[in-house]
Amino acid sequence: MSELLIKNAVVCDPINNVNCEKMDISVKDGKIVESVSSGAKVIDAGGKLTMAGGVDGHTHCAGKINVGRFMSPHDMRMTNVPGLSGKEAPTATTRAQVGYNTPNAFAIGYRYAKLGYTTIGEAAIPIIGARHTHEEFEAIPILDKFGLTLFGSNWQVMEYIRDDEPEKLAAYVAWGLKASRGYGIKIVNPGGGEAWGWGKNVSGLDDPVPNFDVTPAQIIMGLAEANEKLNLPHSIHLHCNNLGKPGNYETTIASMKLLENLKSNRDRQVLHVTHVQFNAYGGTSWRDFESAAPQVSDYINSTDHMTFDLGQAIFGPAMTMTADGPVEYANSRMLNAKWSNMDVELEDASGVVPITYSPKNFVNAVQWAIGLELALLVDDPWKVMFTTDSPNGGSFVNYPEAYTYLMSAKRRAEVIEGFPEMALGRMNIPGIDREIDLYELAIMTRAMQSKIYCMDTKGHLGVGADADIAIYDLKPDSVDTTVEYAAVKKAFSGAAYTIKSGEVVVKDGEIAMTPEGRTYWVNAKMPQATVDAMQVDVAKKFKKYYSVSQSNYMVEDEYLPHPVEITTEAV
Amino acid sequence: MQTVTLSLKEKNAIPIEADTINPDNFASKSKDEIGAILVWYGNAQVTIGEVFDVAVDGSDSTENTKVVINGDVSRVKRIGQEMSAGEIEINSNVDMHCGSNMTGGKITINGDADSWVGCEMKGGEIVVNGNGSYYVGGGYRGEACGMKGGKITVTGNVRDYLGEHMCGGEIVVKGDAGLLPGISNNGGSIVIEGNTTMPASEMKAGTIIIKGEAAELLPSFAEDGTEDVDGVTYRKFAGDVNANGKGVLLVK
Repeated sequence: MSELLIKNAVVCDPINNVNCEKMDISVKDGKIVESVSSGAKVIDAGGKLTMAGGVDGHTHCAGKINVGRFMSPHDMRMTNVPGLSGKEAPTATTRAQVGYNTPNAFAIGYRYAKLGYTTIGEAAIPIIGARHTHEEFEAIPILDKFGLTLFGSNWQVMEYIRDDEPEKLAAYVAWGLKASRGYGIKIVNPGGGEAWGWGKNVSGLDDPVPNFDVTPAQIIMGLAEANEKLNLPHSIHLHCNNLGKPGNYETTIASMKLLENLKSNRDRQVLHVTHVQFNAYGGTSWRDFESAAPQVSDYINSTDHMTFDLGQAIFGPAMTMTADGPVEYANSRMLNAKWSNMDVELEDASGVVPITYSPKNFVNAVQWAIGLELALLVDDPWKVMFTTDSPNGGSFVNYPEAYTYLMSAKRRAEVIEGFPEMALGRMNIPGIDREIDLYELAIMTRAMQSKIYCMDTKGHLGVGADADIAIYDLKPDSVDTTVEYAAVKKAFSGAAYTIKSGEVVVKDGEIAMTPEGRTYWVNAKMPQATVDAMQVDVAKKFKKYYSVSQSNYMVEDEYLPHPVEITTEAV
Repeated sequence: MQTVTLSLKEKNAIPIEADTINPDNFASKSKDEIGAILVWYGNAQVTIGEVFDVAVDGSDSTENTKVVINGDVSRVKRIGQEMSAGEIEINSNVDMHCGSNMTGGKITINGDADSWVGCEMKGGEIVVNGNGSYYVGGGYRGEACGMKGGKITVTGNVRDYLGEHMCGGEIVVKGDAGLLPGISNNGGSIVIEGNTTMPASEMKAGTIIIKGEAAELLPSFAEDGTEDVDGVTYRKFAGDVNANGKGVLLVK
């Protein structure tokens, strides 16, 4: 296959301790290699910033996003971010694009690629909906995909935890990952999805789930132990209880503390807490609502067992979508907005509600600040994944804008100027002068993902890595990112080159070609006797409760034309 | 003053999307220039000159340009879309989305207007000397606001969802309105001189006056005394309470 030589690249590659140094990168057969022959095609990066392709480890790109599409036909007309939103006619290389928060599948692939991203992770796959998720994955061009499977309100999971059957639980999780072709364990408001089936919610870690006699704390611990028993490449991925409620930071910290003593055989965290912006709220009501990012950050700084992502809020229209059914009900009542609600049989709940974050609204202004405070107050960038929980906090096409908030105190001060006086007293961002540099940005947007998902061919540019490369029209030698934020935003909004598996997919901010991406999934092996025993229980569930039979439930090989199977052996 | 007269050569069965027919595009242009402007005819683009006979008298600015449309344009959509000034006179029934998104000027339709006349209108005036259809002054699917400003007058009847998601402006219907006028509206005023059914559901703000009979009034409105308008006393209702609405509904 082809060879490629990228010359004069100024490389920020934190995994390999390369801090924006000028070097050449050799690519052969879609991988980074030591050297290439003289016949290799040459790209002269001309001193431009070069990073591994970005990895968005938590986005809503397939599955539930469809409900958002149904609910917001007008979204296709939104042009909030020029060049990365709205309607675009098909071209010789690209298919028609529409939308902003809920773009069509093609647009998701093209636009992430334009931002220099090459891998994305769908944050929530219900097993019963997984076939559809994979059909959508296949429709998203260019990018490699993986998805996290929902287990946090699953009947079989809760029964095995209640009955103290850790072996069967692990076997069930392995089976669920295979049934959904998922990559890891997602837990959303543990127990809350089931409680919502009864019009209720769980109020905290020790509030038993109706009819199951287990607590959210037990669900988190049980699944985390199963996760480590199965040696999965990612830790549990936790959306904490009480999301979106003032004062919820105590639940968040308590959830983090639960897993302090859990050990993993793999070189990674044992807990990833997601979109913490929505879970770092102080106060007792919306009247005295304030940022609790300092308390949460202090805790995260004191421990090494966990990582988190931001869920940064972006001003303007967004679309909240989550398996956290009761939260979406609360949102719809509070915002007087349209509401979709779904019961996912034995597995979870689900809801979708549109929202608009306004800088004039003091709550929204404080939410904006909390995300940034978390990123800036946590000392170690290897613990911080940059996300907007797209499109919950805002569409991913706003990432370049959000980078400028992290990189420039001056830019933050500009935004804060528009805030109501009351908001300023409830946040800490005006007193924070830390400014993320390009190296730290590379950690938060690609390098740390390589570690937290144990994807050793992603997120870096060392020999053996996938040749997923982003070259941005920014010269690290001469640009002052703390001041020239307009240039930073422009450069990250349309990569000079995005290279996926060694092929130039974006050139000068435009799509050059659209190869198919791959789908990563984890096949975790458990002893056959345990699997057989678990299967007896699962078969009963299908017989008694499910609306589909097991044979129509599993994601079959046909759904993954481009699979990457990762096998693990249970300990 | 410039007058542009378009006469449809032959009635079309496949719809024409004529969002380019407005005074803004025609002002100070010659017959040939206007005839060369493109419209969509089914899935292909044709020139205005291919489907209309074009006559131009004078040359002037947008404000002083009048477009007169003759012939049966009941399958020509989006006439006057996004016009900002000037005048359009349509001597026929007209197809959907006439005057959508207009910001100024005046459209007179001497015939019936199909659905979505004046949808998402922001200013100017539309007079329908005939009947309207569904979604008069309504919004695009999913948008929070339909009509935001300007005035629509319909001398005949209209069908369902009059002023759907309306956020401003004024609509007057001299005849009857169908189901659910003013649904989810958030501002503006609607006057229905005839009868209607289930008005103002999910209304958040604005005023709706019904001079005829209002059938099946929703239970989610709170009666709040009476109000006199132009010497007539109406029962006053506030709501829609279900949507925390502060709208005013006046019925006899």
